[in-house]
Amino acid sequence: MPISFEKVSYEYAPHTPFSYQALRGVDLQLAEGRITAIIGATGSGKTTLVQHLNALLIPSEGTVRVMEHEIAAGRRFKDAKKLRQKVGLVFQFPEYQLFEETLIKDVAFGPINFGMDADKAAAVAAQALSTVGIDKADFEKSPLELSGGQKRRVAIAGILAMQPKVLVLDEPTAGLDPQGAAAVMELFRRLNRSQGITVIIVSHDMEYVLDYCDQVVVMSHGQAVIQTDVKGFFESEQYMDQANIDPPAIVRFRQLCAAKGLKLPADALTIDALADQIAKRIGR
Amino acid sequence: MKNITLGRYVPADSFFHRLDPRTKLVAMIAMLVAIFLPTGFYGYAIIGVVMVFCILAAHLTISTVVQSMKPMLVMLLFLLVINCLVVKTGYVWLNLWGLLIYSDAVIQTLYIVVRLLLMIMITTLLTATTKPMDMTLGLEDLLSPMQFFHLPTHDIAMMIALALRFIPTLIEESQRILKAQASRGVDLENGTFREKIMAVLSLIVPLFVSSFQRADDLADAMEARGYVVGAPRVRYKKLRLRAADYMTLALVAALLGGLIYLAVVLA
Repeated sequence: MPISFEKVSYEYAPHTPFSYQALRGVDLQLAEGRITAIIGATGSGKTTLVQHLNALLIPSEGTVRVMEHEIAAGRRFKDAKKLRQKVGLVFQFPEYQLFEETLIKDVAFGPINFGMDADKAAAVAAQALSTVGIDKADFEKSPLELSGGQKRRVAIAGILAMQPKVLVLDEPTAGLDPQGAAAVMELFRRLNRSQGITVIIVSHDMEYVLDYCDQVVVMSHGQAVIQTDVKGFFESEQYMDQANIDPPAIVRFRQLCAAKGLKLPADALTIDALADQIAKRIGR
Repeated sequence: MKNITLGRYVPADSFFHRLDPRTKLVAMIAMLVAIFLPTGFYGYAIIGVVMVFCILAAHLTISTVVQSMKPMLVMLLFLLVINCLVVKTGYVWLNLWGLLIYSDAVIQTLYIVVRLLLMIMITTLLTATTKPMDMTLGLEDLLSPMQFFHLPTHDIAMMIALALRFIPTLIEESQRILKAQASRGVDLENGTFREKIMAVLSLIVPLFVSSFQRADDLADAMEARGYVVGAPRVRYKKLRLRAADYMTLALVAALLGGLIYLAVVLA
């Protein structure tokens, strides 16, 4: 069953001078088993949107459906714990939420909260740590001894150990160096392809959106204004204008060529495809 | 925690927003003193009318003030019960199955309620119309005579300013961590005692770690910009008393004088 938003609105601190309408009637379908990127300007409601996916926020209006769960405005949502095990949410800068003395204990924290016994939790924690590429020798280290990128991966392992069916990540590459960022994006693709986990990524880095994602949702002023597949998005100048993004290098190259009078087909979205097209034009 | 209304700055442009913070601080202290004058309900009626007028003039609503009272409701109920059991003067007001409730019990509780309400009105008027930074500037100026006694007023003001600056940051941070741990199955409401302790730890440890980190970074950033503890500093923002400030101070003095006179007459 897919994830859907129906006319979802959310207002922070209602009925006070500080009230703020973050979502305004979002209608949205998120495909199962795919990698979806959620993009949009700062303050467009991306983070608020994803916090509805595991009932951290309950809509002020409208309904969110995630698998068999229905989170509706004005109703008490009782299955939050069940839902949170199935939908793993990784916050921005998740390394700040590590608190146990050792990595393995911290990663096992989630599974134990969801009722797994200690031995089994340690086993899934070890597996999750290996998945994110942490060395077995480091399992007993304190999180404070690690580098920023390693901490980030441990925090992600803490969510993976809960064995969620949907993985939601808020800016997972922010503050990482290019290799570290590529490594985590590669990890999400692997999880998606091998285990069929639905991945939802909030991102503003269009290179990663183009290279790793299948679907794109554009948020603007608290509404989902565009929902399409990645190819369709980067082929369309109109969509990219509307989303007001920095296009990825390959798209910028195509735009620059077009400005100089060399029209290249919009569907050439990899370096190889683009090179083939250029070779064809110059007759080789 | 997002709904804390007590003590928050509410941006607007009003007579009170434009007043010098020192004027507002002195006026607040004078008004708080006025509340504790034995003027009975007459005095409270006068202060109440003045404060309602001031709050409306500052573009605030009475409902924000009443909302700030809510957390104290339990305490006030408790006080009413205690007073009803202890105070045995005045005439009998009610007879609850043999338990006699005297008029003074109710009147004394009412006194405290009114006093609290007035105090909240007065302090809200100050905090809601004064930016925390201006408040510290004002406080520093008012404390400056204490330098004579070697009190480091600059440093105290800087500490207060920094503490105030980081309150919203810490609230935001704790909410973020709370949500992140909730996503990992932490449940602060249900669960055994042990689980609750773990839940609190999972919030407090990251909060401490990041606070120390922040403090370190901030100290570095201040030093990089040449801040030296105890060194003389000039000010970017100079406070100046205007006609409106003198007028306000005169009115407050008149009000306080009038209430003292009332107290003497009533005595």
